[in-house]
Amino acid sequence: MESLSAETWDTAICGTGLSQSLLALALSRSKKRILHLDANDFYGEHEAALSLQEADAWAQAHAGGGATHHLDNQLAEGENADEDVTSDKDKLSVAPKLSGKKSTIFRNAHVWKHPNAEAQGLSFPRAYSLALAPQIIHTKSKLLSQLVSSKAYRQVEFLAVGSFFVYSSTDAVSGTRLARIPSSREDVFSAQSIPARSKRTLMKFLKFVIDYDSDEQKPIWQGSADKPLSEFLVDHFKLDDRLRDFIIALTLTLDGKVTVRHGLTTIHRHLTSIGLFGPGFCAVYPKWGGISEIAQVGCRAGAVGGSTYMLDTPASIDEAGNGGDISIKLSDEVSIRTTTLISSQQIRSTTSQSISRLVAVVNSPLQPLFGVLAEGAPLPAVTVVAFPPGSLLNNTQLGSNTPVYAFVHSSETGECPSGQSVVYLTMQTIPLSSASEVLDMALTTLLQAVPATGEILYKLYYEQATSSRQSLVTSQGDATVFEFPSPSLGLAFDDESLDAVKEAWKIVMKDEALDNSFMKFEDREGMDDDDDVYD
Amino acid sequence: MADSNAPKPSSSVKLVLLGEAAVGKSSLVLRFVNNDFQENKEPTIGAAFLTQKCNLPSRTIKFEIWDTAGQERFASLAPMYYRNAQAALVVYDLTKPTSLVKARHWVAELQRQASPGIVIALVGNKLDLTNDGESGRGDGDSEGVEGEDPGDARKVSTEEAKSYAEEESLLFFETSAKTGYNVTDVFTAIANAIPETSLKSTRGPGASNVASRAGDEQRVNLNGPREAAKEGCAC
Repeated sequence: MESLSAETWDTAICGTGLSQSLLALALSRSKKRILHLDANDFYGEHEAALSLQEADAWAQAHAGGGATHHLDNQLAEGENADEDVTSDKDKLSVAPKLSGKKSTIFRNAHVWKHPNAEAQGLSFPRAYSLALAPQIIHTKSKLLSQLVSSKAYRQVEFLAVGSFFVYSSTDAVSGTRLARIPSSREDVFSAQSIPARSKRTLMKFLKFVIDYDSDEQKPIWQGSADKPLSEFLVDHFKLDDRLRDFIIALTLTLDGKVTVRHGLTTIHRHLTSIGLFGPGFCAVYPKWGGISEIAQVGCRAGAVGGSTYMLDTPASIDEAGNGGDISIKLSDEVSIRTTTLISSQQIRSTTSQSISRLVAVVNSPLQPLFGVLAEGAPLPAVTVVAFPPGSLLNNTQLGSNTPVYAFVHSSETGECPSGQSVVYLTMQTIPLSSASEVLDMALTTLLQAVPATGEILYKLYYEQATSSRQSLVTSQGDATVFEFPSPSLGLAFDDESLDAVKEAWKIVMKDEALDNSFMKFEDREGMDDDDDVYD
Repeated sequence: MADSNAPKPSSSVKLVLLGEAAVGKSSLVLRFVNNDFQENKEPTIGAAFLTQKCNLPSRTIKFEIWDTAGQERFASLAPMYYRNAQAALVVYDLTKPTSLVKARHWVAELQRQASPGIVIALVGNKLDLTNDGESGRGDGDSEGVEGEDPGDARKVSTEEAKSYAEEESLLFFETSAKTGYNVTDVFTAIANAIPETSLKSTRGPGASNVASRAGDEQRVNLNGPREAAKEGCAC
């Protein structure tokens, strides 16, 4: 380890979450001297994908108020450790090696395992890869175009996101409680569950959304831009309750109070994303654990470019920083010096929203949810099921005003063995009652509504909040410390987080940061598709 | 059954290279991919990524090769590479016994941590430095006692490595990246040893339950219509 301290690094990156890893990718051809650390013994930080064993340890570390902060870079006195429920024997997970600030992004995590899980088909722990960030990525997302222009996309397998369903407890029309949202004109016309009159109003609305931002359409909605979308849909387009539920579901918003402005933007994104990379689907999902996989690809690109990678290495800023660089302590024996330090914020903002997530392994492929969307479309691996506010009728006390979303992943995602599926349920954390109960109910309801039987084998529940939404930039002498905000709570990947990556890239690159060279690389040698074949 | 005019199914196989520094990991890949050899090659600094297709009678295997050279001292790169890998090449230098010890460590680590069913090949490299290498490609006519023959630098006997490989159910080869001896054979043997089921829908424990569709049908090609239509739209 001596050689680590022998030189001054251009950049030390702490944490291997998506933002830091995309930065590693962006810097992978820069010839900068980069040390990339993670306090965990796995890649991905807030966006990791965990085996069941890792998930158990992670839940233990994030039970109660939160885990020990892995980069104690706030020089002020640390918080009390009274919420800290981790102990030394939990070393496996979030590395509570340096006490002090704790990560409070995740909390109240717990796992549940079926008492006869193995007999019911639960495989060995490493057969699973549960994503902490199961965001779908719209095909129009800038993340995908950056992965293409940086050539990193070649190392990721993207799967199609398929149908969007809306659950209804009282559906008499189609005889099924899960109604598929039509995703195209043809779909609308052929949908048997929608009466002809409703079809016309729906078509009218879809036509409007496609160019809602044009001068012709703007006057229709601008006056009510900050009003609830659901009222607008009824007042202006006379959509019935059912169609309104369809449209609101497409916005993927968790508070059930989406505004006209925000709602139209997201539905526009949804509709215009359909068909970009193939017929029928509007979004993709990276195989093997979602965003985590992209983070790993970013780190690999960094490694190929010559960066040094160390996992299981908590870091803290040495108080004794001086002059043009910062000293970072990796252990009692080893400190390193760097001119920039990049990390991520670990403390939940007092104004942050909180979401509750339930990840469940089910011993059924839930085949009926994974129909092909259109002719020639890839077989979808992810299906979205929305439970509109109030649709979980069994208990009107609970969560009656907030929707629940379930993302169902087939084994094609590589997240579970064949014949099983992983269900990711999300809702807003509700302060006065138990979001965990509502999510459990949604899960059971979902399994009853699918014409396929399945037992729940394993569940991971946790709550997630965010840090401040701004990047924090501070100077220490000539050195710079940059902290990414924690991941957004959206169900679809939020392009805004990419701006911070570019901001950090500019800080590291200084005068060499040419705007039009960001994330634009040629394939490395031996990496084109037209290679020779050995016979 | 197979229609000879139909294109052969093609599958990607992720392969990682592990082994002590300077045993010739990168040289083996360079020989396999470019049929080239560099004397006194610089150590690999970070890691390298290369691809090479291998044509079998029934299908085409595209190897995605991860060369993890260099930074084993931090033991931090390897997990990223062998995650989801379907094959591993664990290389030792047959003139250096400690490199076999390291190779055994890697095999144990893979058996503990990597995907179950991963195909592991144990490869003793630098056969060209032994009498076997000089005397016509390993037909074993060297009579000399190990270590005594000045022309024979071999320090790890074929028998020792081979019996270890058999115990652990590993493929086993002795190669020379310098002469090219046995190099392609290693990769072909790995390609043949990958179970058909793990190729159905690409790799790993979550193999397909939809047998009627080939793997590539699930894959979304980001280089599809979009790039042609909107080139340069990135940021």
